[in-house]
Amino acid sequence: METIICGPLYSQGTMPPRTGDRERCVTGIDGLDTILYGGIPRDNTVLLTGSCGTGKTSLALEYLIHGAVAGENSLFISVTEDSEKLLTNIIPYKFFDRELVKSGRLVFVDLPSMYERLGMTKSELTMEEIDLLVAAIGNLVKEMGARRLVMDSITSVCYKLKTPEKIRDFILKLGKTLSDMNCTSILVSEVAAQSSAYSTFGVEEAISDGIVLMANMERRGDLLRTLQVIKMRGTMHSRAKYVLDLTPVGVLLVPLLKGGSSGT
Amino acid sequence: MTDTTKTAENIARQLKELTPGSAVSLQMSVDNYLDVMRGVIDMYAGKRDMDTIYVTATISFEAIKRVMQALDIDTSRVYFVDCISHIMMGTAAAQKDEHASLVESPTMLENIMLKVEYLIRRSGSKEKLVVIDSINSLAIHNNNWILSEFLHIMVSGLRSKEAYTIILSVEEHSTPEIANMVNLVCDQGIRAAKDAKEE
Repeated sequence: METIICGPLYSQGTMPPRTGDRERCVTGIDGLDTILYGGIPRDNTVLLTGSCGTGKTSLALEYLIHGAVAGENSLFISVTEDSEKLLTNIIPYKFFDRELVKSGRLVFVDLPSMYERLGMTKSELTMEEIDLLVAAIGNLVKEMGARRLVMDSITSVCYKLKTPEKIRDFILKLGKTLSDMNCTSILVSEVAAQSSAYSTFGVEEAISDGIVLMANMERRGDLLRTLQVIKMRGTMHSRAKYVLDLTPVGVLLVPLLKGGSSGT
Repeated sequence: MTDTTKTAENIARQLKELTPGSAVSLQMSVDNYLDVMRGVIDMYAGKRDMDTIYVTATISFEAIKRVMQALDIDTSRVYFVDCISHIMMGTAAAQKDEHASLVESPTMLENIMLKVEYLIRRSGSKEKLVVIDSINSLAIHNNNWILSEFLHIMVSGLRSKEAYTIILSVEEHSTPEIANMVNLVCDQGIRAAKDAKEE
């Protein structure tokens, strides 16, 4: 349960709790776990958002791989890219072992084939089909006992939902289903490069427990990849902007230097 | 013993006194750059089986490597973070060399920190040395505010990992602002200038 601090005064020597007492899902990405004071609060549904080329898929995959290595069953639902292709394009992470996939600890599922199996062939899903899809994902999570899930990307699913009401309904139901199954989830969201919103449809961000924003920031002609935690229910967190690099030892983060910048 | 060897030995001797996590300002003259290299890389890091991460913002890693090889310095444990080749469009060699990482521009100070962090994580050696060559070259491309912030964050991070940091500065090109900036983050200063006297 989250610790709520409601009094303004703390007696001398008593520091306000920084992390609450929620169990943490350690992402394994050192910098991110530090930003989040130990990891994502368990069972949260987090929106990982950003424009193309900002490293969303790499970060989400690393989160799953670390989970699988630590013995947690992890599920990647690919919406736009074929999983095999995804695996061949993945950064050669030193900690990634194909055995994790073979043993079923790390499972990749292509959503288009799931649509096909469920007979969802039309371009727009109905409310009943949304329920069916959420139930199918829930069953998959239950069957494999997944503690971590990534859906890449939620935006592509939202294109099949069309209306804000359906998107809201889908994300709320999906979030609740996953949370009830003790699954900590990352929903990858795509936004346009110049967008100031955190999601394409403006609905996804409002109903997620957390928002992690990844961006390309231009400074004096240099393009830096940045990461910023905008919101995370159940924990205190840094709201500063960090610069990241995708390396074979995983995502590395350092603080964005501010001296001399124009404040962008 | 020649003056050159004496200078190199003197530098190495002073470095050997350092405790883990120390940061040192090494002020040199253009004329004794080679002595500094011999003293730091060969007589200090080489003798202690340390991995050296050499951040070069002055000349390309290829040129430095050639100089080291000409001085018979073992480069097998030297890893370069090259901030200059990319802007000179000379990246071919660095792309093939496993000991070189490129940073697109010396203005991308965060990326320098990230490459150093990566090499430190990859390094198997117990002790690690990070050499920044040089603060004057970085000052050409960055203003003092951001450079000062960079040094503070970088050196603090390296201290927490117990890595040694050596910040090279060229006496002829230095300014009081640069000297202050370096002194603020360093525990010790070594002067290897032309007229430096043996202590």
